[in-house]
Amino acid sequence: MEPVLATHRLAKRYGGAYRVKDVNLAVHEGDIYGFLGPNGAGKTTTLKMILGLVRPTKGRVTVFGKDMEKHRRDNLRNIGALIESPSYYGHLTGLENLRVVQKLRDLPDRNVAEALAVVRLDKHKDRKVDQYSLGMKQRLGIAMALLSFPKLLILDEPTNGLDPAGIGEIRELIKSLPGRYGMTVLISSHLLAEIEQIATSVGIIRDGAMLFQGSLETLKAKSRPAILMKTRNNRLALDILLHGGYAPTLRDEPGGDCLAFDDLPDDEVARINRKLVENGLDVLRIEERRRTLEDIFLDMTGREGSLQ
Amino acid sequence: MKAVALELYKLRRKRLLPMTVLFLGVEIAWAFAAAARSMARQSGPAGWEPVLAALASMNGLFLPILTAVCVSRICDMEHKGNTWKLLYTLSVRRSGLYAAKFAAAAAVMLAACLVQTAAVAVFGISRGFGPPLPFALLARFFAGAALPTLVIIALQQWVSMAAKNQTFALALGMIGGFIGLAADFLPQGAGAFFAWAYYTGLSPVVVDYGAAAAGTGPPLFTVTDAGASLAGMAWLSAAGAILCLAGNLHVSRREV
Repeated sequence: MEPVLATHRLAKRYGGAYRVKDVNLAVHEGDIYGFLGPNGAGKTTTLKMILGLVRPTKGRVTVFGKDMEKHRRDNLRNIGALIESPSYYGHLTGLENLRVVQKLRDLPDRNVAEALAVVRLDKHKDRKVDQYSLGMKQRLGIAMALLSFPKLLILDEPTNGLDPAGIGEIRELIKSLPGRYGMTVLISSHLLAEIEQIATSVGIIRDGAMLFQGSLETLKAKSRPAILMKTRNNRLALDILLHGGYAPTLRDEPGGDCLAFDDLPDDEVARINRKLVENGLDVLRIEERRRTLEDIFLDMTGREGSLQ
Repeated sequence: MKAVALELYKLRRKRLLPMTVLFLGVEIAWAFAAAARSMARQSGPAGWEPVLAALASMNGLFLPILTAVCVSRICDMEHKGNTWKLLYTLSVRRSGLYAAKFAAAAAVMLAACLVQTAAVAVFGISRGFGPPLPFALLARFFAGAALPTLVIIALQQWVSMAAKNQTFALALGMIGGFIGLAADFLPQGAGAFFAWAYYTGLSPVVVDYGAAAAGTGPPLFTVTDAGASLAGMAWLSAAGAILCLAGNLHVSRREV
């Protein structure tokens, strides 16, 4: 099935450095696609290129099978977007802000009422947006993006600056959109926990390059357990095991270094233990370490990154 | 038309109308007081010329500043609310948005010019200058105020939309007001390069202060030949069109 949104070797260069390089994104109908990466990884630049706010250095974007450059205005009719911080007219009320979008998009009044209800701003619609809290402004931004109930919704870090309750609220809202309105959602975030709870597919980007793209299940499958073994002399144990045909690695852990093996059957663990003891090495500890999604993620994006 | 109406809708609570009325009120009152003083010094029947000359001269100072403030208000709300991204993702033609903002500013400022012209007519009638109303003279006065204003809108809009910090745009308006005020003192031909200098340049009435300066008589007000202004109008129109197109092209192609 052709993806609703696809990028083909999309790249953006500023000066001599590529901010985004050869990104191939594929978002399928009904997906909640989590676009993950640390701050500065190139998420917003990619989304801006998709929407035509930034011109790609190379590559192309297709939305609903149509080239974005040639059919930008047509495509935008089917897209709702919230990029970076929410956009609003602070001197106007929430309702008036939605009216501006309504008039520009030529939408019926019922859309305004429904969007206000969906983001639960109906009680505050007559207040000036300058008097809104950050969370309310964020919800207004989402309401503006939702107003036409588009086929594709693009949200760039929509929970930025929200408190935990607000994050939960937005999460539930986004989760409900494909089922309720048949929308496909592309959401970017640097928060793994946030995406893990709502996304059906993920794309991971770092330093402008895509590191992973696929279903969340595929990503989770990478979290096979590792066996960690601590001996009296780990370097000597490593030599013995390498000569014995095993392939452990020496891993630096908080309690000192240890030997790490990819998932092993119990019998194999017992054999390794016996071999080390027979060679006069005390085995101090054997433990199974299950890699969390976060571990995989941090391994991919670099632990020095700001991913949380 | 819908886009222009929307721009005016977005100006709610911006107090643009009271500010414009206040600004115009001060200018018109000042100009009429100056004209009344000038007429009091003259012997013979009073006429339309001193009023038109005084207001055209005041326009050189006031309209560039009022235009800068008005255009800045219309453009600044997009910078402040970070709404360029929103507008550009709404399937709106960027050049159309630029044109709508120009038209909204033009609507406000042309209304201001029209109010000025009507005020001159009311002042003249109340002072017993007419009837008949000198429609041709009033129309030339209106055109002489409106045309430079439209060009200044084009310039101010470019600056206001390109630079987030509106201090630049407002400073340009102030500089323009100064040039407009001092237009008559600019070297011969130099004024042609400044849109702000055309308020007096396109005025249907010119003033000769020679006799007044020598102390031998009052200032002399002369109605100029309409044909003499045509070259200036054409040049100004061309400059305005270029500014509009260049500004539109520059701002519309910009990444946000």
